[in-house]
Amino acid sequence: MLKVSNLVTEFASIKALNDISFQAKPGRITTVIGANGAGKSTLLRTISGLERPTSGSITWFDEELTDKSVEAIVRSGVAQVPEGHAVISQLSVAENIELGGLFRKRQARGDLEIATKDVYELFPILFERRREPAGSLSGGERQMLAISRALVARPKLLLLDEPSLGLAPLISAQIISIVDELCKSTGLTVLLVEQNANTALAVADHGILLALGKVVADLPAKELIADSALRAAYLGY
Amino acid sequence: MNSFLTAFFAGTSQGAIYALVSLGLVLVWRGAGVVNFAQMGQAMFTTYIASQLIQNEYSYWSAFVIALISGALLGALVDLGIMRPLSSRKNSLLLNSQSMRTTIPVIASLGILGVLKALAGIFWAGEERGFPAPVPTTGLRLGNTDLAITGFDLFVIGVVFLTLVLTTIFFTRTGMGLAMRASALNPEVTRLSGIRVGSVRTLSWAISGTASSLAGLLVTPKTNLSPNTLDLLLIVGFTAAVVGGLTSLAGSVLGGFILGYVIAFVNVYSAPENVFLAILIFLLLALFLRPQGILGSKEVRRV
Amino acid sequence: MSKVKSHKVIGFRSTRLAIIFFLFILLLSMQFGPYNQFQLANISTLLIAVLSITLLTGASGQISLGQGAIMAVGGYSAALLVTRLEISMWLAFVLAIFISALFGLFLGLAAARLSGPYLAGTTLVMALAIPSIAIRFDSFFSGDIGFSVDYGYPPDWLTNLLGEISIEEWSLYVALPFAALSLFAVLNLSNTRSGRTWRAVRDNEVAASLAGINIARTKVIVFVCSSALAGLAGAIYGFRGLVAPSVYPTDLSLLLLTAAVIGGLRSIGGAIFGTFVIVFLPDVIEKITKFLELPETISIYLPALMIGLLLLITVILNPRGSAGALEHIRHRHKH
Ligand SMILES: Nc1ncnc2c1ncn2[C@@H]1O[C@H](COP(=O)(O)OP(=O)(O)O)[C@@H](O)[C@H]1O
Ligand SMILES: [Mg+2]
Repeated sequence: MLKVSNLVTEFASIKALNDISFQAKPGRITTVIGANGAGKSTLLRTISGLERPTSGSITWFDEELTDKSVEAIVRSGVAQVPEGHAVISQLSVAENIELGGLFRKRQARGDLEIATKDVYELFPILFERRREPAGSLSGGERQMLAISRALVARPKLLLLDEPSLGLAPLISAQIISIVDELCKSTGLTVLLVEQNANTALAVADHGILLALGKVVADLPAKELIADSALRAAYLGY
Repeated sequence: MNSFLTAFFAGTSQGAIYALVSLGLVLVWRGAGVVNFAQMGQAMFTTYIASQLIQNEYSYWSAFVIALISGALLGALVDLGIMRPLSSRKNSLLLNSQSMRTTIPVIASLGILGVLKALAGIFWAGEERGFPAPVPTTGLRLGNTDLAITGFDLFVIGVVFLTLVLTTIFFTRTGMGLAMRASALNPEVTRLSGIRVGSVRTLSWAISGTASSLAGLLVTPKTNLSPNTLDLLLIVGFTAAVVGGLTSLAGSVLGGFILGYVIAFVNVYSAPENVFLAILIFLLLALFLRPQGILGSKEVRRV
Repeated sequence: MSKVKSHKVIGFRSTRLAIIFFLFILLLSMQFGPYNQFQLANISTLLIAVLSITLLTGASGQISLGQGAIMAVGGYSAALLVTRLEISMWLAFVLAIFISALFGLFLGLAAARLSGPYLAGTTLVMALAIPSIAIRFDSFFSGDIGFSVDYGYPPDWLTNLLGEISIEEWSLYVALPFAALSLFAVLNLSNTRSGRTWRAVRDNEVAASLAGINIARTKVIVFVCSSALAGLAGAIYGFRGLVAPSVYPTDLSLLLLTAAVIGGLRSIGGAIFGTFVIVFLPDVIEKITKFLELPETISIYLPALMIGLLLLITVILNPRGSAGALEHIRHRHKH
């Protein structure tokens, strides 16, 4: 299980994360919601090692992640899909996917081939367009590619930063349901960040509401959906 | 022999060398965000190493290989010893300023250039010396007619061609090549893919060091060797890289050949003393007419 | 109201600093023999060029490796005016400032579109190409030979006042007032509103343009001011005896940059320190090598080695130069 305790991350004078503690159950989706600037991305980036926390700790089962490098954290089975459909648009679709598994090429060549096949099965459109540059994909396809890049690493913990951003509701729902199925079938643990809470909370086990770098609610997802007063106060809808 | 062919062949073989220099510059610029003004200083130094080995009765080819390896090591050393510590000084006030982040490595590379030149002067007395070619540098003859090309020119063109083919295969067909391209394009996504971007960066310094070391070995049989002989090559290589857009490897090679022809034709049809001026004018034209380079697209330029 | 006041204080401060510098060099020269007096004249001249870099890089973040070429523009302008039109040297110096400023305007228009490595590389190409113009059009610029020009003789009123004046002293008396004036100008410039504008552009172009600063125009203005200084330095530098391509080599551009860097690109005091280092370091090293009886191959290259190392050590240890290091120490003492 992912355990975050008393995490503080600062930028110059801003405390983007101010004493955050929560846990994410293995094999489940935990959704983090919050308004723009609440610190959601900073939270994911601190877990994946892109930002260094000032204090606090992050553990994944028995493993201490807090001061590890990004590369080491990826090797511990944590994969992040950063905000904004992060694919490398000048590389082809196939190259983007290959990139995600490159670090395992020597130890686990066979499994890498299977993992690649798996993501192509999950997103057949990517297989069709595997030779095209990633920049030519639509927004939804790019998000699929970004997720695939993370999945070929065979992560145990997937960090998804606003996968719905800028996508049509239908497509974002489709992507989230694929993630949900993946969770159920493979036991993947997911930390899903969203601003638009409804679809994301619907598939989640647990919901965490962030505001100004603090956890203001940490509830079972159903209760968070139901609590319209809380949502109105922090999200404005 | 007619002067057009003379210029053409000279342009091709010189252009091949410029292509190597420009390729080396672009590799490090893309891979590490540094324009390495010390590049040809490194090449000068490794060429002196080769020259010293040949003086000590090593064969040309073993000296050649050792020089290339030293080029790679020197490149890696520059990165590990100087550039990486510099870029990790995030908290330094000066590096917080946007424009200084590109300026400081440039200054560091000038310092390296100065040190390498001085060391070469101290070790090898700084006098001009010749550097041998593995094949004759006299013009080839076909029957009774002189060809405008020498055996050495052909050698240069062949070696560079082979290098470019190998480089292309490396970048397009191997995982390491993919990692290098990816970390140049988007370091964050590459790191999140578990790739050690720092090591990849050091590798681009090493490859660039090898390419420029090769350029040094290929150009000095014609120019002789002294601590300053390769300065001009850096200027031309930089111009070629800018003509190619500074971010495109293919563009940098093309830029190298274009400059080779420009300089050769200026030399043959005008006068050698016009070369510098021609380079400056060409550089300014390139910057104003196609700042994104001949092969670049508009948004790629990272200024 | 308070703004106007602080402005006046700054003006007073820069006047004071310029006068202190003037008197300090003058007093120093009285302790020295002719050779070191000549070196002080060199320091005064080169200081103007180093200030042109401090202004450019320190205030705007732009880096020029071609300051020597702009010095050549100033030097040739003054030499041509004096030899062809036979005007007075002083007038020629002033006109050289304007011609170099005009050159800086064109350069700035080009450079405003460039930044970082593009500008560095382009100015380096310029450093090589500009002196070659003199060879290309040698009937006008008299090629490799160049122009023999000098400071002439001190005016009578000065000899009446000070007694016999040696050539070395006279070259110091020519260069020093210009150096003090340049110091005054740069100190004032970097403390005024335009100085602050320039630093804003240096630190963050996007933020600066959001704050309503015209980036391109700012860059051009910085280039014009910097080139005017470099041109003046080039004119004085050339009139030591010769204006020719060999007087303004690429190495000169790099040497000037070194002085600006080791002193601290942001600091005017640093520029003075750096200039002293580049002028006196070779002499010091020569004394040491003589003392240690090092072979000539080493002693020839030792100054270049030391200067390269200084440059490297400065950027690695403290990119803000010696001025930054001092500030750092002072800061620590306060706590
Ligand atoms: N690299 C950074 N430098 C400075 N401030 C940052 C940086 N990244 C984020 N912040 C600040 O941290 C806070 C949280 O940002 P972020 O985590 O991106 O929020 P969210 O993802 O919830 O929209 C914001 O106030 C933002 O301005
Ligand atoms: Mg965010």
